[in-house]
Amino acid sequence: MADARALLLWAVTVLLGASYSRNPLYSLLLLLMTLWVYDTAGAADVVSASTGSGRPSPLAPLRFALIAVPLGALFNALTSHFGATVLLRLPAWLPLLGGALTLEALAFGAINGLNLTVIFSGFAAFNQAVATRELLKLTPRAFHESGVVLSIALTFIPQTTHSLHRIREAQAVRGHRLRGLRDWLPIFTPLLVSALERALGLAEAMVARGYASVTDTAQPLRTQGLLALGLLVLLGGWLGYLFTPALRPVLLGVGALGVALMLTALWLAGRGNRHTVYRPRRWRAQDTWIVAGCLLALGTLLSRRAWMVYSPYPQLAWPNFDPLTALGLLGLLVPGLIPAREKTRDAGEMGDE
Amino acid sequence: MQKLLAGIIYTLSGALGVLTFLYPFFDPLTGSTPVGDVQQQVAPLLTAALVGLALLALLVELQGQSLSAKTIAMLGVLVAVTSVLRFIEVAIPLPGGFSPIFAPIIIAGYVFGPRFGFLMGAFTLLTSALLTGGVGPWLPFQMFTAGWAGMTAGWLPHQGRRWELPLIYAFGFAWGLLYGVIINLYFWPFILGPLDQSWRYGLSLPETLARYAAFYATTSLAWDVIRAIGNVALLLVLAAPMIKALTRFRLRFHFEVSRG
Repeated sequence: MADARALLLWAVTVLLGASYSRNPLYSLLLLLMTLWVYDTAGAADVVSASTGSGRPSPLAPLRFALIAVPLGALFNALTSHFGATVLLRLPAWLPLLGGALTLEALAFGAINGLNLTVIFSGFAAFNQAVATRELLKLTPRAFHESGVVLSIALTFIPQTTHSLHRIREAQAVRGHRLRGLRDWLPIFTPLLVSALERALGLAEAMVARGYASVTDTAQPLRTQGLLALGLLVLLGGWLGYLFTPALRPVLLGVGALGVALMLTALWLAGRGNRHTVYRPRRWRAQDTWIVAGCLLALGTLLSRRAWMVYSPYPQLAWPNFDPLTALGLLGLLVPGLIPAREKTRDAGEMGDE
Repeated sequence: MQKLLAGIIYTLSGALGVLTFLYPFFDPLTGSTPVGDVQQQVAPLLTAALVGLALLALLVELQGQSLSAKTIAMLGVLVAVTSVLRFIEVAIPLPGGFSPIFAPIIIAGYVFGPRFGFLMGAFTLLTSALLTGGVGPWLPFQMFTAGWAGMTAGWLPHQGRRWELPLIYAFGFAWGLLYGVIINLYFWPFILGPLDQSWRYGLSLPETLARYAAFYATTSLAWDVIRAIGNVALLLVLAAPMIKALTRFRLRFHFEVSRG
């Protein structure tokens, strides 16, 4: 499995690509690549099931596409009445819907649905490829307490689910049947009370092991002050950027300064929290390849933006296609190629053992 | 001094979050020249980054105030219980926008106060996103909005038994709708839909409001009404026993022996 940071950069690049592209050919290319990565990550997950990597996405990207693309096309066609190729006309007295249904509006809506599917598919692949514990490791040190809360929640979820089943069985033995919402009360109340009892026990165990045993763990004044200043500068820069268009380059710099101050405050807040890892994960060549692929795609997105622009209005026409742009975007395919090789190598190593 | 700075951080990060959510409405007030597609496409990414930063600032300040082991344990366990409810929602599609997570967030905020309510809302969405594969650019917006639901529940007056429950039911109904109204704002500028419902750079405020109202009425109102009714139905069942149980545990959690 690739490094979570490299895969996060990949997901963000897909997001940027989907946001920039209005050309359905490139959006389709992005979708195919994310589907490939999604599929490869799912296949790799079968091999690495014992490591607990990856979770099922609630809705597979293709199913999402089957809903989002036709729905987007239909919604846009029914409510937007622009375009030269009229397919049929709805009575004008219908509020919002009345008017011409055009091929161009259908195409425009479908492209919107396609772009949404690319974003969904990119993050579905990311979720599929990265294990929960790897995501937790991305938590910055400044968010130590948040990380602890998340760890507790994730650890307690299987226990809570187990309790839920046990309580349901116990109530069923007593003749309790679930017919309506109110019938959940005899199940939910014991579930809540038992969970809170566990929380009490856990808190006592944490204190006994010295958690928060120092007298004052509140943020130092300097960190708080820097955070407040960073927020103030960022907010000022953002408002200034919007309200004084003439000074935008300067105010963009002010906003960036605010972000820098905030990041410094976060670094200071995290400095006190030591983070030790029993088995640190090494940055491998495959991670560098993923980053290189993302940089190639980002460079293409920025330098060849003109090819990304497309509008089906006023009359539907075939979108432009530039093979060089497509080649640049293919950098996003790297995560889909690497796990297959890794899997083979892992299998070989297992065989050697 | 620390309290003053904490207050400033809450206010500024709240203001940054609110202004970023409301960006499509007040941006036209600037009267700036429309700059076409670039602004249209960059705006959603910029707003996601700003909301993320505001959320980070708020979280680091909230957790920086010496969260006790008891608070952390209770928060973690309550988030686990609520996330299991979200898991049920994902596994068994519920009607419309109905989601069982809001009732526990509102009740926890009401009993334990705004700070706990915010953390409960934000962490519930984060944990369930980690579990159900829902991590994406939408997550900071969802965390912020659910956090606000919990936080504002903490501001509700504790009026005594007669008005307590009706107030919570009304609050649950209002947040059922508000969640949709707020969360739609993050992707509305991104969607290039019908002209009379789409956000465009440089529109006047009344025109933007009219377009958003048309967009909301067409796409989300029915969905959100189901969520609001679902919230009230769940609160009718859960609110009284849950408030009783949480209040009892709050007293147990805060039990301390003074040195006399």
